[in-house]
Amino acid sequence: MSEKPKADLIVEKLREIMETSATEELDWSNYGPQSTIESLGLDSLTILDLLYDVEQELGVHLEAKDIVSVGNIGEMASLLIDRGA
Amino acid sequence: MKSIRHIIEYCLARILLLFVDNLPFGISCLVARGAANLWWAFDPQRRKVARDNILRSGIETDPKRALAMARGATQHMALLIVESLRSHQFLTGERFRDHLEINIKPDVLAALENPDQGLIMASGHFGNWEIAAHFLSRYKPVVGITRRMNNPLMEKLVQSRKSSHRFRPIPKRDSNSARFLEVLENKEILALLFDQHAATHNMSIDFFGHPAATFKTVAMLHLVTRAPLCFGACRRIGPLKFEIFTSHLIQCPPSGNKNEDIRSILNQLTQYLEDAIGQAPDQYVWGHRRWRD
Repeated sequence: MSEKPKADLIVEKLREIMETSATEELDWSNYGPQSTIESLGLDSLTILDLLYDVEQELGVHLEAKDIVSVGNIGEMASLLIDRGA
Repeated sequence: MKSIRHIIEYCLARILLLFVDNLPFGISCLVARGAANLWWAFDPQRRKVARDNILRSGIETDPKRALAMARGATQHMALLIVESLRSHQFLTGERFRDHLEINIKPDVLAALENPDQGLIMASGHFGNWEIAAHFLSRYKPVVGITRRMNNPLMEKLVQSRKSSHRFRPIPKRDSNSARFLEVLENKEILALLFDQHAATHNMSIDFFGHPAATFKTVAMLHLVTRAPLCFGACRRIGPLKFEIFTSHLIQCPPSGNKNEDIRSILNQLTQYLEDAIGQAPDQYVWGHRRWRD
C-alpha cells in the first residue's frame, strides 16, 4: 500500500472516531488533512476522548509531547503512520 | 454597589493581613476565626447550603450539629488562609519536619522523585491544599488551576502575596487539556481538585451516595498519557501541624471501554476523598453546591 492512500485511510478513520467522540452535532463539510482539531469544533477536553479512541481503534499510543505538537488532522495522521498505524 | 462591596472586602482583607503578618500565630487564628464568624453571620445562603450538604452526606444527621459543623468548616477556611499566608515561615528549609507528618505511599514517592515523570495529584476541597502544594513543590514544580477572584482589588492583593515556592497557576479560563498535557510533558505535578460541580464533560459519580456531576478530565488525562495518578490531601492535625497523605498510585490501563475506565478512576478518587472527609468533616468546604439535582 502506498503512503498516500494509507494517509487518506487514516484521515478517514480519524473522522469516524471524531464523529463518535464529538458530543455535539458538527459540520464535517470542510473536514480534511488541513483541518485543525479546534476548527472542527472539538474542544480541548473532547480531544482527550479522541486520543483514547485513536489508541483503541488504531492501536497506537501517543505521548503527551506528540499530542501537544499536533497542529492538524494531516499531522496527526502522519504521526500515527510513523508510529505504526 | 458592587464596587463599594469590593472596597469593603479589600479593606477587611488588608486589616486581616496586618494582623496575620504581625501577630503571633495563635492570635492570628483567633482573628481569622472572628472574621469567619462575621462572614457566617452575613451569608445565610452559604450557611444553608453547607448545612444541607452535610445532612445529605449523612456525615451528620442532626440539623443543629450539622450547622455547627458547617460553622467549623467556615472557620477552617479562614485558618487555611492564615496558614497559607504564613507557610513560607514554617515550610522552608528543614523546618517543615516540625510541622508536617508525611504519609506518602512508596509508589507515589518514587513517582515524585523520578525526574523523568510527571504526576497527576487529584484532591478535593479538603484540608489545606495550599500547604500540600507548597510541600510537594520540594520535589518538582506544582501546577494548579486558580480561579480569578471576582473582586479585582482582592485579586491584585492575592497575586502580590503569592509565596515564592514553585507553584505555577493556570487561570481557570485558560485551563484546557493542552495546558495540562504540557505540564505532564514538563514532568511537573498537575494538581487538580476534582470535586466541583461539572456542568460539561462530566460523568455522574456518587458522592456520599448521591449522584454528583464530576469532571472526567483527571481520569482522561491518566488514561491518555499514562502519567501516574494518585489522590492526595493535607489534613490539619494541630496548630501549624499537618498530615500530608496520599493513596497508592491508581492503576487503570485503558481497557477499551472508555466510560467504564473513567468511572472506575473517578469512583476510586471519590472514595479516597470521602474517607479523608470522614476523618475531619469540618475541614471540608461544604458551602459549595456539589449536588445540583
